[in-house]
This record gives sequence, C-alpha cells and structure tokens, in this order.
Amino acid sequence: MPANLCITPDLGKEDMDPEVSTRMIILSSKANVSESEVVNFLHMLNLPITIKWTCYGAMISGKDEYVREAIRELRKLDPYGIFTKERGFAPGDPRRCRGHRYGPREGFHQMEKEFRILDYVGEALKNPRDVEIEKKEPVSVDYFKEILEEEENKREDDK
Amino acid sequence: MVKVAIYPPNSLVLADLIERKGHTPLALQKQIRQKIKDPEIDSPPMNITEEDPINGLKYAAIEVPSGVRGRMSIIGPLIDAAEAAIIVDGAPFGFGCVGCARTNELSIFCLRKKDIPVLEVTYPDDEDGTRLMVNQIMEFLDSLPGGGGDLEGDSDVLGEPIANKGGK
Repeated sequence: MPANLCITPDLGKEDMDPEVSTRMIILSSKANVSESEVVNFLHMLNLPITIKWTCYGAMISGKDEYVREAIRELRKLDPYGIFTKERGFAPGDPRRCRGHRYGPREGFHQMEKEFRILDYVGEALKNPRDVEIEKKEPVSVDYFKEILEEEENKREDDK
Repeated sequence: MVKVAIYPPNSLVLADLIERKGHTPLALQKQIRQKIKDPEIDSPPMNITEEDPINGLKYAAIEVPSGVRGRMSIIGPLIDAAEAAIIVDGAPFGFGCVGCARTNELSIFCLRKKDIPVLEVTYPDDEDGTRLMVNQIMEFLDSLPGGGGDLEGDSDVLGEPIANKGGK
C-alpha cells in the first residue's frame, strides 16, 4: 500500500490558513433537496468559498465567517434534511480524497452508519413526541428450569 | 454557550444536534486540522509525531502503549476543554474514528470522572430508538446554560474554534 503512505500533499496558501475551515453537508435520504440543488444554491450565494459536489451532498471550504453564513442560509432550504459537520482535511486533499488513493476514505464507514439513522433524526426533530421502549429482559433462571423440567417430563412420558 | 464533548468524537448526528441548540461541539476534526496544518511535520500523512506520546503522558502512564498516548494527545485537550459531554454506548463495531478500544475506554473514563454533566445514550437501531436518543439529547442540551439556538439554525449556532491546549 505504498500509494497510501507516500503522497506528499501540495498544500496551497488557503490550506495552511488557520482561519479557513471545511464543512461537510450531508443530506438524509428523505431530504427535500438534491445534491445539485444544494451546490447550485451555494454558488448562487456568491460567497468566496470553495464548493465541491459530492455523493453525500457537498463540501465547502473557506474563511470561517463565510462558511458559517453559507451553512446558515443553506439550512433554511430544508432544516430537517440537511446535516453538517466539520472536516479536518480540505476538499480534494490527496491524503483523504478517493481520487488519489485506494480504498474507502477514512470516515466513510462512520458516515455510512450515521446516514442510516439520519431520516429518523430529521423526523424526530420535525415532529417530536415521547416514546417508551421496553427493554427485553433475559429469561429468569427459575423459568428456564421449569421449561427444562417440562421437556424432560415429556421425554420420559414418550418412553 | 457550552462546549460539549462528544463520543465518538467525529459523530455527525451529535455535532449537528449540538450546533442546532446553540452550543459548541468539541469535534476531533478541529484538532486534526491543527495537526495537518502544522508546517513542522515533515511527513504530513503521518499525523502523529514523536512529541505526541510525550504529550499524552498527561493523560496516561508511561506503561500505557504509545499508540494510546499519541491518540490521547489529540483527544485529551478536547476532554480538558469540555463543560458537558454526550457519550453513545452500545455502538456497533466500527462506529467511531479512534480505532483503539483502550483509548475509547480511557477517554470515556476521563469524561465520566470529570465533574461535568454527562449524558449517556444508547446507539439506536430503529425509529423509536432514534426518537428516544434525540429526545434525550435535546432535553440535556436545553438543561445546559446559554443554549437555545433554534432548530433551523437561524441564530449564530456555529461555534468559535477551540484553543489548542496541546497538553504541554
């Protein structure tokens, strides 16, 4: 796996700027907007940020204040279907980007698991209601003994 | 506004819910970003330097494997900065980004030991479980001082970057 270890990133000025932050925008499967609508909307905001269209939604990178503004505006499109989180690496960074290396991107498996419950999270935020979940108790030893004795008695009767 | 530690430290759902309520999630990504921007790191894909296991001594003893100490040098400052914490229990294998069971145990232990409000929720499998988890998290975040960002994110809910304490 030398390709995974030997990439030397050619970091630009923006990548080294401490004021620059990157955020991932992830759409739940029941979101009212598509990835292309999100990207178009972000472009129409006309903010000085880098926008990348991805399979899960989009990724934006730029000065923190502009990124915040973009997220604030974007959330208004679908408050319960758009989720965002911070990302450490810049968009297209060869150390993470799938276009430059083998295997799934680090963080993919976590996102895959969380994506499965995003619909439910959005629904719970939209229509909050109390729920009660019954915890399944293990079978008690006495009850287990009863079943065993019953089975033994049945077998003896059959003989 | 309260700085809320989350576990797993890169969780999308937890970080998003915390931001929606006007608090600051202490996500691992910010720490990683500081690491990868450091011009002193010669080999950028290797984010852990020889300094890190030394910094990790603040959180774990010298007998503890260097991998745990190296990880703790990144996660530790987040735990130090935490004013509240949300921990997900019973998650399936592969959930979380740390990749080390002992570091997970140590981090959760440090969060529990710290004198801060801690919420422990169960990883949900179905819709009702998710509703329960979201309700518990929202109730917990409402109980923290200075919250109250609306759910649609209209108010200024994205937190300021945390200072790198570095554990030195």
